[in-house]
Amino acid sequence: MVDAAPVANGVSTNTEPIIRCINVNKWFGEFHVLRDITVDIYPGEVVVIIGPSGSGKSTFIRCINRLEEHQEGKIIVDGIELSHDVRNIAAIRREIGMVFQQFNLFPHLSVLQNIMLAPMKVRNWKKDRAEAKARELLERVGIPEQCDKYPGQLSGGQQQRVAIARALAMEPKIMLFDEPTSALDPEMIKEVLDVMKELALSGMTMIVVTHEMGFAREVADRVLFFDQGRIVEQGTPEHFFQNAQHPRTQLFLSQIL
Amino acid sequence: MTTISDPHSGLPERVRTQVNYDEPAIKPPPLLSVGPLAWMRNNLFRSTFDTILTVVFALVSISIITGLLTWAIQGANWFVITRNLRLFMVGRFPVGELWRTEWMALFIMFVAGFGLATYRAVSYRIFIFAIVVVALSFAIPPIVAATTPPEYSLLAAGNTEVAAGTVTETPIPELAFVGQAGEEITISYPTSLGDDARLATLSGFTDRATTAVINAARNRLAQEETTARLQERLANAPLTEEQREALSAQLAGIEIPPPVTDTLQVNTQPVDIEILHGETLDVLAQATLSQESESFSLTLPDDGWYILRKTMRDEGSLAILEARNIEPVLVSELSALDVRYRSMTSDFETGARRPRIDGLDVPIINIIDYQYFGKRNFPEFMKLYVAPLLAQLDTPLLFLLLATGIGYAASYGLSRYSPPVYRGQLPLRVFSILFLISPIVIYILLSAVNTSRWGGLLLTFMLTAVGIVLSFPIGVLLALGRRSSLPVVKGVCIFFIEVVRGVPLITVLFIANLMLPMLHPSLVQVDAVLRAMAGITLFSAAYLAENVRGGLQAIPPGQEEAARALGLSGVQITLYITLPQALRAVIPALVGQAISLFKDTSLVAIIGLFDLTRIADSVISQPEFIGARPESYLFISIIYFVFSYLMAWVSRKIEASGSGAARRF
Repeated sequence: MVDAAPVANGVSTNTEPIIRCINVNKWFGEFHVLRDITVDIYPGEVVVIIGPSGSGKSTFIRCINRLEEHQEGKIIVDGIELSHDVRNIAAIRREIGMVFQQFNLFPHLSVLQNIMLAPMKVRNWKKDRAEAKARELLERVGIPEQCDKYPGQLSGGQQQRVAIARALAMEPKIMLFDEPTSALDPEMIKEVLDVMKELALSGMTMIVVTHEMGFAREVADRVLFFDQGRIVEQGTPEHFFQNAQHPRTQLFLSQIL
Repeated sequence: MTTISDPHSGLPERVRTQVNYDEPAIKPPPLLSVGPLAWMRNNLFRSTFDTILTVVFALVSISIITGLLTWAIQGANWFVITRNLRLFMVGRFPVGELWRTEWMALFIMFVAGFGLATYRAVSYRIFIFAIVVVALSFAIPPIVAATTPPEYSLLAAGNTEVAAGTVTETPIPELAFVGQAGEEITISYPTSLGDDARLATLSGFTDRATTAVINAARNRLAQEETTARLQERLANAPLTEEQREALSAQLAGIEIPPPVTDTLQVNTQPVDIEILHGETLDVLAQATLSQESESFSLTLPDDGWYILRKTMRDEGSLAILEARNIEPVLVSELSALDVRYRSMTSDFETGARRPRIDGLDVPIINIIDYQYFGKRNFPEFMKLYVAPLLAQLDTPLLFLLLATGIGYAASYGLSRYSPPVYRGQLPLRVFSILFLISPIVIYILLSAVNTSRWGGLLLTFMLTAVGIVLSFPIGVLLALGRRSSLPVVKGVCIFFIEVVRGVPLITVLFIANLMLPMLHPSLVQVDAVLRAMAGITLFSAAYLAENVRGGLQAIPPGQEEAARALGLSGVQITLYITLPQALRAVIPALVGQAISLFKDTSLVAIIGLFDLTRIADSVISQPEFIGARPESYLFISIIYFVFSYLMAWVSRKIEASGSGAARRF
């Protein structure tokens, strides 16, 4: 088990961690998916999680906004511990945006409506404010002209950028990315990664599950390597890609690079 | 082609690196790969087996269609439809209140037109089709009238009995008829009645003596035909000795009476005729018709009733007159309370009771139905049935089309010229309002008339509409309840759904009708239509719940996850994410259910309501329409089909317009 102390790269270590995971365990039936995950994530940090399929990467980040329930251990987000208290869960979800592999845009709502829905219904914003925010975000992700279209009319890359805008509309403190480029054609991956890079540079706290090693190397402050439900190795991208210690990490890297 | 080849490659020439800079010209597809011929070759005659199937199906279809058309044109008695149209449409709805149903239909068509434009479900081109249909309904009756010159109708006059064949009848001295101002009636004294074939084809009136003559001629002609057919069989068909004997015996049994024209001694004496005004009983004109006289004509002064009085100078003689433009009248109400008569060939209508002379009702000139039974040609079919039916339908159709068009134009105008603040959402909002107030409008219009007077298509429509509208929220709640995590809610919903789905609708209707009043005395007060509506609604809700549940299950779990990740609550997720998608996805199933509900309402006939099916059954119990069962049921089948198909068509259009599961606009 690697030491849980932050290995921050350009991120202040003086602040309190925004996410604390302490000995998190989770089972799917008999299967032990997450094993004693302990990790702190600091505001402004970009954490990239890599690892083979089935290693628990996605399950881990889904636990952070309670899409999955952990059975043992503690997850504390922004000072609130995740528990069965619905109010806690709602409060945490307001602060965490999430982007999915399959985009999960709402097909019956236009791009603008997709983005405006949550701010209006959850944050009780007025329509004008929500719409202004939505248009600003569409500008930011580079597709302002698509605002009245429906998700079915957009390309995969455009859909994923809308999904990012939708998550950002809630003005979250943390963004979770669950393999955001895995369902995209190679030509579209770049446009999504560019948006994510811009987001990382703006100081957003991000946890990204991805297979894009270029992105990890370029943007990540820290890389976590998951295998069989535990964090096998973590470190800066330099450490990770040039000097990985654990044989499992070395094997994994040798297979994908 | 430029080829860059690698001189060091050991590969054969053809797989070496090639770069193709040619741009082949874009050509049209080869002939016979597109167009109708290619379609036929590819779809109908692709292989021998296909060809055999095509030919067999074509032959079967042709024989069925020709059989049906032959019957419909030559044999069927469509008077049961043309004369009972109002019964089919609204049942015993009071005539004075009919404007309520008319406004309701106009309002519904307005809303429908508005909705079609709002959802961009159809283009304006469909209106061109509708306009053509309505224009035809206006154009066909005059064309038919112009191409088939009015036949003379036969009217018997006299005081003596007419013995024709085996039928003996006394002429009726006075007949009432309805006429329009400016219409010219003509009565003439035929010098010869022609032969029996002509007598049999002449149209006539329920002047019973005329009927007797026509029937006698018809019978004689029929017997002649039978004889001819039997003789033909005896002569040509290969028969056993026994069959031959039986046929001969049958042939011997047929007795052909002498021609009616020979036996009937008519038109030897002059006839006095008078035309009386039906209300004032003033004599408008009188004339004496005889061999020498010209035919008598009169231009009618007013719309309304007239009486034709015929008197023979000689007690013992008989005359058969020919009349033109004295239109047969039809009695179109079952109820004696609001008797109205309606002219067959124009839409002139009078609310007055039939004229009375000396305190007695004058018999109405009434077309004889069965006289046309048998060999009718196409022009006669058009004149007798199609033209009168269209004459009754043309104006209502025009107004319905106008209402739809106005609704369509209103929505179009709103979306085009609405202030920019609404961002094109104005038609949608107005449509929602219209849709929500329509039940109120319909209730206000119809509630003034007791439901026991509702009938026909109106009742069928109301049962369906109420069933769909009310079962929708109930069904959605049941579907959500069935997916609930609360065991009691879930259990109750499953119990209700499964019990109702396990019971036939007819049983539900019986329970609603018979058993509910036993449960509590106050339920006796609830009238039968409301009880049927309740039964239909609950029945439909259970099925709808299962459809909606299917839609809910079809939504990818990612949708709910994304919504939860955004912080939406469970209720919000249902309202804004899952339910809208589920409902869009099951539009075809919901419309399918609406269609089956529409048809299933026919079961209320069994609990004593006069819906469309029951009306079809009851009109043929009128004496003059006994035997017209196929016509009546075929007609309501067409009505059921037209409305069902319309629903399916609208559903397809909405689906294709992008308001369905996958939105495109």
